[in-house]
Amino acid sequence: MTFKYNLIIILKNFLRKEQIIDYEEQSKITRVIIKAAVLMLEFGAESILIEQTAQRLGKALGVDSVEISLIPSAIVLTTLLKGRSATTTRRVHHKPINMSIVCDVQKMVIEIEKDKHDSDWVTTHMKNIQPNYYNRWLVILMVGLACASFSYLYGADIWAFAITFISSSIAMYIRQELSKKRFMLILTFGITAFIATLLSSTSLLFNLTNTPNVVFAASVLLLVPGFPFVTSFLDGFKGYLSMAWGRWLQASLLTIATCMGIILAMSVLNIKGW
Amino acid sequence: MSGLIFDIIINSIFASVASTGFAMLFNVPKNALIYCAIGGAMTYIIKDTCMDLGLSIELATFIASAFIGVVALRWSKKFLIPRPVYTVASIIPMIPGTYAFTAMITLVDMNSHGVTPELIEIFIENGLKAISILGAISFGLALTSLYYMRLNRPVI
Repeated sequence: MTFKYNLIIILKNFLRKEQIIDYEEQSKITRVIIKAAVLMLEFGAESILIEQTAQRLGKALGVDSVEISLIPSAIVLTTLLKGRSATTTRRVHHKPINMSIVCDVQKMVIEIEKDKHDSDWVTTHMKNIQPNYYNRWLVILMVGLACASFSYLYGADIWAFAITFISSSIAMYIRQELSKKRFMLILTFGITAFIATLLSSTSLLFNLTNTPNVVFAASVLLLVPGFPFVTSFLDGFKGYLSMAWGRWLQASLLTIATCMGIILAMSVLNIKGW
Repeated sequence: MSGLIFDIIINSIFASVASTGFAMLFNVPKNALIYCAIGGAMTYIIKDTCMDLGLSIELATFIASAFIGVVALRWSKKFLIPRPVYTVASIIPMIPGTYAFTAMITLVDMNSHGVTPELIEIFIENGLKAISILGAISFGLALTSLYYMRLNRPVI
């Protein structure tokens, strides 16, 4: 019984390998691969990971090689098959970083390498990838706690800890509301920093704590663009220089937007010094 | 001595809470969350210990991030998850956010209130610290994959 079953599988695989990929099929494969690459770049994966994933996916789907050219705002991708090439370009719109989608695409590629699927299966699978959003109140609580932990690490007292927790939680709520309305990231960061600084200034105005500067610093830490900064360095070390510059500039712009928010709040309240 | 160890443990617990919070901000998969917390605690313990032994903050940060790079390689092979998911969340407690913000705010201060030697000093000091710590973090993280790139294999 099992022997018979195995024989069928072997025969099936043999037939699939012999299947000739025509130009129509090749361009379909190209479109599927670039869809996966765009998904990974949009949600903030590292450049080397995008390139390797595209190449592995191409090999698993049956093309000879995949060449990819990455710039921060677009992807150009070519698949080669017996001297025939298909090229396509996609624009990339950067979205808030979401690692669960990147992980899902990665897992899908490994699954395809294990047991061969065709390009239609990949298309439907990618459509079904769900962003693993946590409960928003849980995120607010955890981010508030994270910023408060930072304030503890910088040497805050109990009141400073409490004020940091409250102001960064409210800031996180506002950040979620703004990104729900699909504002530009720069605007979101500026407004959130403004409100976080306004809220944390209560520590100074009511003389609640001995360490007000820690509160100011820690309550805006939820806006540090850590992921773009680190990926920009990692890309640069691995030879993707234009991507590294793009990510660096993106992270710097977000930092500047945050600083603008902080400075605006400080000048409104007429506080000096940090 | 025991007080010192107690301090380090308490600090590492807070660091792991910080790592977990930021990991949720990046939407990491649920089963990776606990490893992000462990990684955050580990990096903080290593960095604290190194700084207590008298190393500079840059060198301590570099050692800690190189260590988490090696550990995350094992985790990513085990669970088939890209390494940045673990590493970026783990190094978040070491990101020089305050230095970077202070440098930027001084820059704007210089524009609005006039340039003084003190402001220039604060700007250069904080900016250099931020860039060198960031460089130490990312070079430490990249070290393992740079080692493997020579072998011409996929990262995970």
